Amino acid sequence: MFKIFSSLRKEFLLLINDKVGLALMFLMPLLLVFIITVIQDSAYKMVNENQIPILVVNHDQGKEGEKLVALLSESGLFKIDLQNSLRQKSLKSELLSRGKMVALYIPEVFTAGLESNAGDVSQILMDDLGLEYDSSDTKKIAMPALSFYNDPVLQENYSFSIMGIIQSYMGVIENGLMIERMYASMDIGDKSAKLKDKMISNRVKINQILASNNNSTAIPNSTQHNVPAWTIFAMFFMVVSLGSNIVKERVSGSFLRLKTMPTTFMLVMFSKMSVYVVVAVLQVTLTFSMGIWVLPRLGLPKLTIPSDFIAFAAVVFISSMAAVSYALLIGSIARTEQQANGFGAISIIIFGAIGGILVPTFVMPGFMQFAGNFSPLHWCLEGFYVLFLKGGSWQELRYVFSFLGVFILICQLTTYFKLRLERII
Amino acid sequence: MNSMAEPPCIEIQHLNHRYKSSQENTLNNISLNIKNNDVFGLLGPNGAGKTTLISILCGIIPATSGDITYYQDGEPISESERRNIIGFVPQEYAFYQELTPRQNLDYFGAMYNLSKTKLKSRREELLDVLGLTKAADKKVGTFSGGMKRRVNLAIGIIHEPEILFLDEPTVGVDVQSKNAIIRYLQEINRLGTTIIYTSHHMSEAEEFCKNIALIDHGKVIADGELTGLKAKHEVPSLQSLFIKMTGEEYRD
Repeated sequence: MFKIFSSLRKEFLLLINDKVGLALMFLMPLLLVFIITVIQDSAYKMVNENQIPILVVNHDQGKEGEKLVALLSESGLFKIDLQNSLRQKSLKSELLSRGKMVALYIPEVFTAGLESNAGDVSQILMDDLGLEYDSSDTKKIAMPALSFYNDPVLQENYSFSIMGIIQSYMGVIENGLMIERMYASMDIGDKSAKLKDKMISNRVKINQILASNNNSTAIPNSTQHNVPAWTIFAMFFMVVSLGSNIVKERVSGSFLRLKTMPTTFMLVMFSKMSVYVVVAVLQVTLTFSMGIWVLPRLGLPKLTIPSDFIAFAAVVFISSMAAVSYALLIGSIARTEQQANGFGAISIIIFGAIGGILVPTFVMPGFMQFAGNFSPLHWCLEGFYVLFLKGGSWQELRYVFSFLGVFILICQLTTYFKLRLERII
Repeated sequence: MNSMAEPPCIEIQHLNHRYKSSQENTLNNISLNIKNNDVFGLLGPNGAGKTTLISILCGIIPATSGDITYYQDGEPISESERRNIIGFVPQEYAFYQELTPRQNLDYFGAMYNLSKTKLKSRREELLDVLGLTKAADKKVGTFSGGMKRRVNLAIGIIHEPEILFLDEPTVGVDVQSKNAIIRYLQEINRLGTTIIYTSHHMSEAEEFCKNIALIDHGKVIADGELTGLKAKHEVPSLQSLFIKMTGEEYRD
């Protein structure tokens, strides 16, 4: 027992003497969680919570332009900056100088064009029904076009979303005009309001439902992604501390010296793994505590912990074991500390990138999503996602445990054979 | 061959070794008897095979062929028993530079199965004898070469081994540290420890060793009691014997 205690104590002492390693393992995840969550939360709020700032120039001579502006304003989606005195030609420069991302220009003939088009539709209908109508007003004006300006830095899908919203309100205006015109042609113009209301109120609604197994109300947000993601990233960054620690022991001859002693090398490995699994658990405790108690105080979303604590603990443990096993592998194959640190750190960044830590995998091209399956960080993150966002059960976690189990086995066996090859074991 | 009158400590018979990457044997048909309580010098030029032989004797690498038998109280012992009675001081600083001498000794002492009480008393005794008490709580990485050598030695003898292997224990140290190390080794040999030692310092080896084996190109070219060997080859010193037996050519 004293032997085990001494071995654990030695690993602990080596750990606390590695200041750079400690900073990478504990300070880095706190900073990353904080910075990335703040950044992503702003982007998230810009799309989901905040109003979209839009510069509107309405040069319409009729009333439909005003109606469109009113509809956009009433939607609550836009923060409208109405500047009718601006000329269309200067709109580009005004957009950029006023710090707006999008602008809408309503032309002078907007109402006239819409009414002309509604008249045409009405005439076709009256002709088809064989009804008489007043055809004295025959002035034709082409269908008007709205001009939508956007800052080039704005993502294309975001611009399309805004144009879709405007198009939707245009549909309401155009339908209303057509109904009015048709009713007027039939001399029952005062009765058009009822049909217009009916058509507007009867539009198909879309109910948004979260794909969660336990009806969890935990909504994916920047905290729910970033806290586990960067914790896993930091866990795997223990390769810098543990990997170089092993290289040093191999190169210095400490491992070989142990071979002459009445002890087993398994004790050395057991001690290293135990200490670093505890480190990983502390990392989770630290960053998750930040997500629960600190981030909400900064106006960021609170981290919601899964209800199945045993499954949660199991995911933390297997993720820790994966990180420790990878560090052992790197430590056993690297020839120098520089190799272990350099290759270890870069490989973790690559694994993190393809594994969905930096950017969610669903936005990646197909082949990169496939490549993501070979990243241990992806499966660790998937484990947390299953627990946090999908309310997953053990059944849901089976792929996570299977992949990580195989990964751990490969790392441990490779480490064993490499050390055997060097006659350390 | 050494005299068989004294009880044997280690018996080496027809030992051969070849590294997998090599076309030639590193050690060729080595046969030696090392007696109890001896100070036995394994001497030879660079690349002669001294470190390979010590590594095999300590169980770090296996021999390609041949037999090694360890004895305790005249009886052969097993490999696991051997681990309990040998101490090894490698040429490298094989310890943790980030830890203090106390912490290093605590760890390696525990690996030798010393009890907590025994370890503490032995640790303080060694720190005192080897002049490390004042620096006992400083990180070894900050030490001079001589101090590191003494820490390296202290780790190898923390468990009071019956057989001690020393691979160049005084290389790169100042005269003061070298004298302190040799004095202490002579003292533990007087108390019963068998010492097997390699060195490039012929004057040091001449002063320290009772018996020697000169190894060159993986073969034993001379072995026996030092005084007898000098007389047999009609040379005044070990250095003269060494040059006479191994030549004056540079070695890689």
